[in-house]
Amino acid sequence: MKKWFSRYSQQIFLFAVMMLICIVLTVQSKYFLTWKNIRNILEANSYRLILAIGMTFVIASGVMDLSAGAMVSMCGVIMAVGLHAGLPAGAAVVLGIGTGMAMGAINGVLIHYTGINFFILTLAASGMLRGISLMITDGKPITRFGQDFIFLGIGRIGEMQLSVIFAALLVMLSIPLMFHMKWGNYVQALGGNKDALEKSGIHVGGLRISVHMFLGVMAAVTAVIITARLNSAEPNAGMNMELDAITAAVMGGTAISGGRASIGGTVLAVLILGVIRNGLTLMSVSSDYQQWITGFLLLLSVLISEIRVRKTGTLMK
Amino acid sequence: MKKKVLAILLAVSCMGMMMTGCASGEEEKEPETQEEVKEDAKEEDEETEAESSGVDKVLADIEKQMNDALGELPESGKGERIGILISSTANEFWGTMKTRYEEAGKELGIEVEVFEAAAEDDSAGQLDALQTMIPMDFDAIIVSPIDGTNLIPGIVAANDAGIPVINLGPGVDTDALKDAGGHLDGKITVNFEEQGSTVANDMISRMKDGGEVAILSGLEGAGQSVGRTNGAKAVFEETDGIELVAAQACDWDTEKAYEATKDILTAHPELKGIFACNDNMALAAVRALQEMENKDVMVYGVDYTSDAKTAIEEGTMMGSMTYSSTIYTKAAEEMAMLLAQGKTFDAPVYLPLTLVNQDNIADFDGWR
Repeated sequence: MKKWFSRYSQQIFLFAVMMLICIVLTVQSKYFLTWKNIRNILEANSYRLILAIGMTFVIASGVMDLSAGAMVSMCGVIMAVGLHAGLPAGAAVVLGIGTGMAMGAINGVLIHYTGINFFILTLAASGMLRGISLMITDGKPITRFGQDFIFLGIGRIGEMQLSVIFAALLVMLSIPLMFHMKWGNYVQALGGNKDALEKSGIHVGGLRISVHMFLGVMAAVTAVIITARLNSAEPNAGMNMELDAITAAVMGGTAISGGRASIGGTVLAVLILGVIRNGLTLMSVSSDYQQWITGFLLLLSVLISEIRVRKTGTLMK
Repeated sequence: MKKKVLAILLAVSCMGMMMTGCASGEEEKEPETQEEVKEDAKEEDEETEAESSGVDKVLADIEKQMNDALGELPESGKGERIGILISSTANEFWGTMKTRYEEAGKELGIEVEVFEAAAEDDSAGQLDALQTMIPMDFDAIIVSPIDGTNLIPGIVAANDAGIPVINLGPGVDTDALKDAGGHLDGKITVNFEEQGSTVANDMISRMKDGGEVAILSGLEGAGQSVGRTNGAKAVFEETDGIELVAAQACDWDTEKAYEATKDILTAHPELKGIFACNDNMALAAVRALQEMENKDVMVYGVDYTSDAKTAIEEGTMMGSMTYSSTIYTKAAEEMAMLLAQGKTFDAPVYLPLTLVNQDNIADFDGWR
């Protein structure tokens, strides 16, 4: 019990914070604890969660990808071009996912084989990808797609929006992928102890590339949802979304140096940030507060993790 | 273990303090606004006494035109609740609109709540805000979208919930809305093309020998930007001796407008006039011109912000398009009340427009 508490202290903290925020909001606004509002929170954060899950894997592998937001816009733009050229919705989605995988693969190849710092490489990639989106679209949003495609963003099965179902499925898939399958364990080992992994005969380059391809796919799914939802592919879409994803992953307890990941923590962090956003809107409080709260929560969350590490004496990798 | 629990408790109570801090901050704000309203009311009284005041005559004329456009006035407010979604108060214009909405709501005896996105280009965040507003039992919702399509799913959801939706200002792409199975219940707007053409005509009237002009547009695809740019472009292009040398999209971004001005002026040192699609960009252009020690270029903007007012008085800006935000917001809320009371609107309602320039700025003291 004690060990469990210690291991999950950061997530328990997040959960407590979330409960506290929910209680405050329930008292402050009669609309907060209604089914429609909860559904809104889930819908508004589905795509943020998907990208954050992708980022959690990348951070677990010991790097970060600052081009994820630009990838979202690029995938959206490529799909929009495909749709306007007459591709059916399904083919456009495949094209988008292919684009995401290809861009992820390029990032992975560059990081592994050049040995240049990932921060610089993905920052460069971000600029280039955003630039390509702007060049393709000439800076203007590409708008209006068929109903089939739009359905992917706003369609519902029963009460639930497809985007929420996608996010839930991807979370459920990623937990066994990260913790119970070789690939996920290798990804964490890649962040934790790359040399040992190499010595044990694992093809580290391939592993690195595959993690980034995974994030590319997640970015493409994010792009499908926001492009379909807004009925518009905007070159500025996904601006700073990579930072939100990194914030959520780190706040959730994934070690910034890699080696330790928490999918549940990422989910909690995305939901907390989403609930705060929703609460501020419900109370029509200026969104200026949100940035401060996000920063403050991130700081508290990593402080808690640090206290735990200091106390146990060793970093659990 | 004990220490850890304590640490967590501490952190959580920190959070609690933070949340209450926010809440009390809000409470403190309110009386301030009320005071402001009172002050404004006082000012109004004083102004009504001095009947010769130019601004009141202008306002009274506009209100009369506006009432004619609305057709009829609503029954007095019965505490209707109106939800209003603007783009972002990061732009002073929308900050003023928010205040005016709240003032007009008090005057009309209705309850008004104003919502916004985190930034002027946060189109997804604005949609999230609209979705959040829908279960809040508003009698009508007034929206000013960031672009033509971003709010469409939310408008459809409002339609489904039976809440009338009014579009104020930048337009919703009505074809795309129809495709999605939605509709608007009312539209109140300014004619953006007229804003552009009025500026262009005033600019040309001050250019006896013709010459080169440039446009700094806003966010590509945004209704106001496209309308203002096209309105000005059309006038420039059909006037002999006027050459439009650049129409650069600056995304409402002052930094981009500043750089674009420098680039355009470097390529066209003989430039005579710049029309920026809002005052923030116009003021950025003014800074660039000052830095390049150029005093010959006339700069026009749109919105007539307080900084633009100062710039026109100082002579660094030539003019700015404006309209009365008091009457605009009041008319929108009256429209919302009429809709809630069962009236329907088939055609858009247009707001009368005014150009403030260096010649007539004296008449606009106390403009609101």
